[in-house]
Amino acid sequence: MSLAIPNGLDNSSERPGERAPLVLGETTYHDITESVCKVAERPPGWGWGMGFLTSIALLHVLGGLILYLIYTGVGVWGNRSPIFWGWPIVNFVFWVGIGHAGTLISAILFLFRQEWRTSINRAAEAMTIFAVACAGTFPGIHVGRAWLAFWLAPYPSLNLWMWPQFRSPLLWDVFAVSTYGTVSLLFWYMGMVPDLATFRDRSKNKWRRMAYGILALGWSGSSRHWMRYEKAYALLAAFAAPLVLSVHTIVSFDFAVSQVPGWHTTIFPPYFVAGAIFSGFAMVLTLMVPARSMLDLEKLITIRHLDNMCKIILATGCIVGLAYGTEFFIAWYGQVPAEQFAFINRAAGPYWWAYLTMVSCNVISPQLFWFKKCRTTPWMIVVISIFVNIGMWFERFVIVVTSLSRDYLPSAWAYFTPTWVDWGMLIGSFGLFFTLFLLFCKLLPVINMAETKATLAKQEHMAHGAGGH
Amino acid sequence: MSETKKTVHGIMAEFTSVDSLLSACRRIRDAGYTKTDAFTPFPVHGIDKALGIKPTKLPWIALVGGVSGTLIALTMQIWMNGIDYKYIISGKPYISLPAFMPVAFELTILLASFGAFFGMWALNGLPRFSNPMFTDPRFDRATDDRFFLYIDARDARYDSEGVRKLFADTGSEYINEVIEDDTPTKIPKPIFMVWGTMVAASVIPLLVVLTMRVTNSSQPRFHVFPDMDFSPAKDAQMSTSLFVDNRSMRPDVPGTVARGQMEESLDVLTGIDSEKLAQIDAPRADRLVRAYFFDDEVAKAEEVAEVTEAEGEAAAPSVMDTTPWVKEIPIKVDAALIEKGQQQFGIYCSVCHGLNGRGNGLVNQRAQSINSPTWVPPSNMHQDSLYSDKYPDGKLYSTITNGIRKMPGYAGQIKLRDRWAIVAYVRALQKSQNASIDLVPPSQKAAVEKAVADAKAELERQAAEAEKAEAERKAKEEKEKAEAAAKDAPAE
Amino acid sequence: MSEHAAPDIKPADHPAFQLPASLSALQTPLLFGGIVALLGGLLIGMFVSYMQPDMPRFGMSAYLTAFLYVLTVVLGGLFFVMIQHLVRAGWSVVVRRIAEFLMLMVIPLAILFVPIILSLFFPNSLFAWTDPDFYTEHGISQSVADQKGYFLWEPFFAIRAVFYFFVWAILAMFFWRGSTEQDETGEVAATERMQAWAGPGIIAFALTLSFAAFDWGMSLAPMWFSTMFGVYMFAGGILGAHCAITLGTYLLQRNGAMKDEVTPEHYHDLGKYIFGFTFFWTYIAFSQYMLIWYGNIPEETEWFFYRQEGAFGTLSLALIFFHWLIPFLGTMPRHIRRNPHVMAFWAAYILVMHFVDIYWIVMPEARLLDGSMATFGGIFGVLASLLCVAGMSSLIVGLILKLAGDNRLVPVRDPRLGESLAFENI
Repeated sequence: MSLAIPNGLDNSSERPGERAPLVLGETTYHDITESVCKVAERPPGWGWGMGFLTSIALLHVLGGLILYLIYTGVGVWGNRSPIFWGWPIVNFVFWVGIGHAGTLISAILFLFRQEWRTSINRAAEAMTIFAVACAGTFPGIHVGRAWLAFWLAPYPSLNLWMWPQFRSPLLWDVFAVSTYGTVSLLFWYMGMVPDLATFRDRSKNKWRRMAYGILALGWSGSSRHWMRYEKAYALLAAFAAPLVLSVHTIVSFDFAVSQVPGWHTTIFPPYFVAGAIFSGFAMVLTLMVPARSMLDLEKLITIRHLDNMCKIILATGCIVGLAYGTEFFIAWYGQVPAEQFAFINRAAGPYWWAYLTMVSCNVISPQLFWFKKCRTTPWMIVVISIFVNIGMWFERFVIVVTSLSRDYLPSAWAYFTPTWVDWGMLIGSFGLFFTLFLLFCKLLPVINMAETKATLAKQEHMAHGAGGH
Repeated sequence: MSETKKTVHGIMAEFTSVDSLLSACRRIRDAGYTKTDAFTPFPVHGIDKALGIKPTKLPWIALVGGVSGTLIALTMQIWMNGIDYKYIISGKPYISLPAFMPVAFELTILLASFGAFFGMWALNGLPRFSNPMFTDPRFDRATDDRFFLYIDARDARYDSEGVRKLFADTGSEYINEVIEDDTPTKIPKPIFMVWGTMVAASVIPLLVVLTMRVTNSSQPRFHVFPDMDFSPAKDAQMSTSLFVDNRSMRPDVPGTVARGQMEESLDVLTGIDSEKLAQIDAPRADRLVRAYFFDDEVAKAEEVAEVTEAEGEAAAPSVMDTTPWVKEIPIKVDAALIEKGQQQFGIYCSVCHGLNGRGNGLVNQRAQSINSPTWVPPSNMHQDSLYSDKYPDGKLYSTITNGIRKMPGYAGQIKLRDRWAIVAYVRALQKSQNASIDLVPPSQKAAVEKAVADAKAELERQAAEAEKAEAERKAKEEKEKAEAAAKDAPAE
Repeated sequence: MSEHAAPDIKPADHPAFQLPASLSALQTPLLFGGIVALLGGLLIGMFVSYMQPDMPRFGMSAYLTAFLYVLTVVLGGLFFVMIQHLVRAGWSVVVRRIAEFLMLMVIPLAILFVPIILSLFFPNSLFAWTDPDFYTEHGISQSVADQKGYFLWEPFFAIRAVFYFFVWAILAMFFWRGSTEQDETGEVAATERMQAWAGPGIIAFALTLSFAAFDWGMSLAPMWFSTMFGVYMFAGGILGAHCAITLGTYLLQRNGAMKDEVTPEHYHDLGKYIFGFTFFWTYIAFSQYMLIWYGNIPEETEWFFYRQEGAFGTLSLALIFFHWLIPFLGTMPRHIRRNPHVMAFWAAYILVMHFVDIYWIVMPEARLLDGSMATFGGIFGVLASLLCVAGMSSLIVGLILKLAGDNRLVPVRDPRLGESLAFENI
């Protein structure tokens, strides 16, 4: 049963023709069950408690500020003419972007048969759903009368006698983000059912058994069920892969269908998607690197996993850099004065500091990942990932605020200043995110045990096979 | 396992590795068993072949979901934005297929995913919380690290001893009967209560919405945000301390032109042929431009004074006669314009000039009856001096606009184009008084002639009646006279 | 755990790795036929532009269409090789050599680029901006003309073209030599070297491809611009490359080579990529159209306007249905992707549609820039376009066959060959 893989915890090198193991140490199927279940079964630790209390406090900041906003009106934000899309939309695009890594890891890497996804996909998917929840908050309150946000839905209304405007990209957003949230949730839950069954079967407590039993839907591990389950999983992956692309594409349409200089550019769809993957992976790394050591999961989330994610960050960082460059070149080549001004203003105007932050965090800092040392040293990964997160927030800030602050009418030009409510909501949204994430760590299986066992089985098979030849 | 009363569903065997499970699977398949199943903690590649499991129909369910998603989205958008509630946005057609693609795509994915997700659970017969397999505590490890193989008792070849022997041959260390799950089927009360509460709670929003949809209350609603419900906006005639003049209704900003009232041509604005005027009286042409295009109030007052007071000095040729008036109405004249003119004439002019334009409107009648000393009788429009050869259209327009003698200017009351419409109607009115029957098109001639004949007959009848009445009255008078005379006579 | 065993790795000199005689016999006819057809097409095209004053740039445009068609597919092959090394792919080793043949064709294509360089000496024979009166005739201000002139300036244009081909040739040679030398030595270090350089190689590739697309595709309409254009050309090319690899593999197998090595599993994977890139092409094409259509700014919509009216309007509709919908539905079922015969058909079909796509990009710009609509140039125009592309393609296929005759059809000592042979889809 047990499988001896003669190596330490570094599996980041791989000779061509061999495949490095993704589950390390003398790990058995039962060890995988143990190490994942104990995260949820043992009583919450001191660190978790502190983290949870902090997050809850921040969540209350968000909740309180939303109430204050609704009672007082959107004037509490720094949004002023002509910058009507200030931080709320920046935060929305930022969080939606973060929400792209999870489904990308689960769906696209699944389709590409990247087996290293198995031990990180669960947490990344959870992160996706929580990030989409954070993202959805902002347009919801940005409509001003949040209690009428349901008017966005195409329902037959006897009071309004009208339908939503389907030629508006903002409505496409409603459909895209809600579809994405729903499908991600289904995908996440479906992937979790066999592991919930494991939780159920390990429960000593009757109530716990019952709760997980209901969530596990009576999963028994029957081969017929597995066969349909795998088919459904592959189908959902095939649907989710274009869905991931479509969501940030549609978010980019919010900007690109307009005629605002700096927004109306055709490269926005792929460039936004690349940026979203970039920021999403950065967030996964920011969370997973500390989590793997705190939760003792180093044998399952190995250096190789981190290494691969760093490479994806490097690749998407280069794509984003290429897109920045292309935009500048075409602004000059196109010879449209408004467009040229928008880009010069972006880099050298009053927001030069934001642009500089964006370029240095997004394009320059990931270049360190060309060095293997940087890709395999956990603390360096965390530092660079945090830089990327900051840079991607600033990218959205640069796009939204610099273009809007320079209207076609120079008398309307303005400079954006965030209010304390803007700051509070941005910080509070992290409270929402971390509260949900910490609850997830405590209550649900953080690693896909079934898939990791399948990876281990394959690894074992390959090792035997190689020995047999 | 010796409880014979319980129903036996089949026999299961435990294995510790994938390879031993797979070889056992092949053995029972080759032994001819068909109602078999394996239970594994993770999907085992190749077990469907080893057990002879057929591929699933799930992709078809997803396809149906996806296609219906596309169709629903396209139908919904075309109907909502293209048919039921049309309005133009950013110059796009009502049915803008490129703009409908994103939502169509999203709904396709959503419904296809629903198809795959719910289809999978339905085909698997889940959720199903009671399963005889779960009765054996050892089966808990099926989700951990053990593999189980199961042969159902309904299998045609099923025979308890044979199956046990077969399993023992495959090297299984644990073989057991699968028996009926006899745990109580009653749902525990707390679960039921939680579930019931949740269902009840989830209905509340729906009920609230439904109540709001059907209630038609006259009570003021609860005000959550008083400053939004009771806006501090002022009504038209209210006073305010915000502005120096204390009026809450603000006057138009100088230079404001009401929608549809923008007129580029000075000729249309003034009724004066400005090109000719520029040749004969350049300073006045310049003044006109200042007055009408640069909102020069002084110039406008001078101009208005000149055209209204001119009539006083009748001896010298007045400004009214020297001004090169526009000869014909400078805007398009059609039936609609004349109808508009008739309506406006009826509203503004007829009170003095009379509905037929003969200058005997109600105001005039009243003024005459009280012998008003300052009253100047309104003009009769059916006099030679007011026909278009003597009184050009532009002059008539100017008169309506700026007034003449006692008549005030109507520029403030009557819109620009409507003033020209009145000019057109007055011309029609003038023509009607001198019209010959030859002007009437042949198709309507008979009707007109009949109407004229009817009117004549009516007049004759009235005249005859009047004559008769007169005659009667006279006769009566004579009679009374005669009677009076007769009365007087005896007295004499 | 698989039921059937993977085929053993055959010795390097096994006939399964040699070009079948039936195919090598085609070399000479293809080469000569190709040259004759290409010259014939070019001459007829020149004749059309001479006879029809409303199509001054027709002849060279037909040549450029054929050139870009082959070039995009060839560059797609180069990208395929680099991305396989970058991600250390195992499944694709058995078909990688075909992509390597393809990528090496950038060197003959550099020679075939010479007529396009020559066209710079004849104003308005291919690029409208080479006409010195272009800016004044179209009412474009002198300052804009000056700025544009820095980039759209013949010597700089030529230098850039040389630079692109230099980069591509270096990349192609590097990966070609690494792979073929490994056939002899079997050293694993070669694979490691190629993996290490694949990343920087792809960055150089992305930059040069983008700018080449701007130079040779976008600048045909000198005042038009779209940041997405490079990605659009790439999407078509990578799709074409996967089709070319599928079709090439199929033809080789039909003629007896690598019978055991390539299995339905590999067709299945290639089929998935064809399906996926069909979708990707549509995504890019739709996004570009949608943003320009929605923004509705005259300087951008102009390009689509001439492709939405008249004969090219029909062609645009045809692209939607025949470049997207039909192959998209056609390659969707799993059993079709696992059927080599049907996949070979779809690959050939999409290669034809890729030509239509390039034709749709290039040919409308051959029109007279006076507001008149673009046409196909009559029967001779269509004939010229078809002869050019047929000539260029068969010339390149002939050269590939020549190259294949001198080399092995599979990287026989690649360390991941075993993994590729045993590869199975889940």
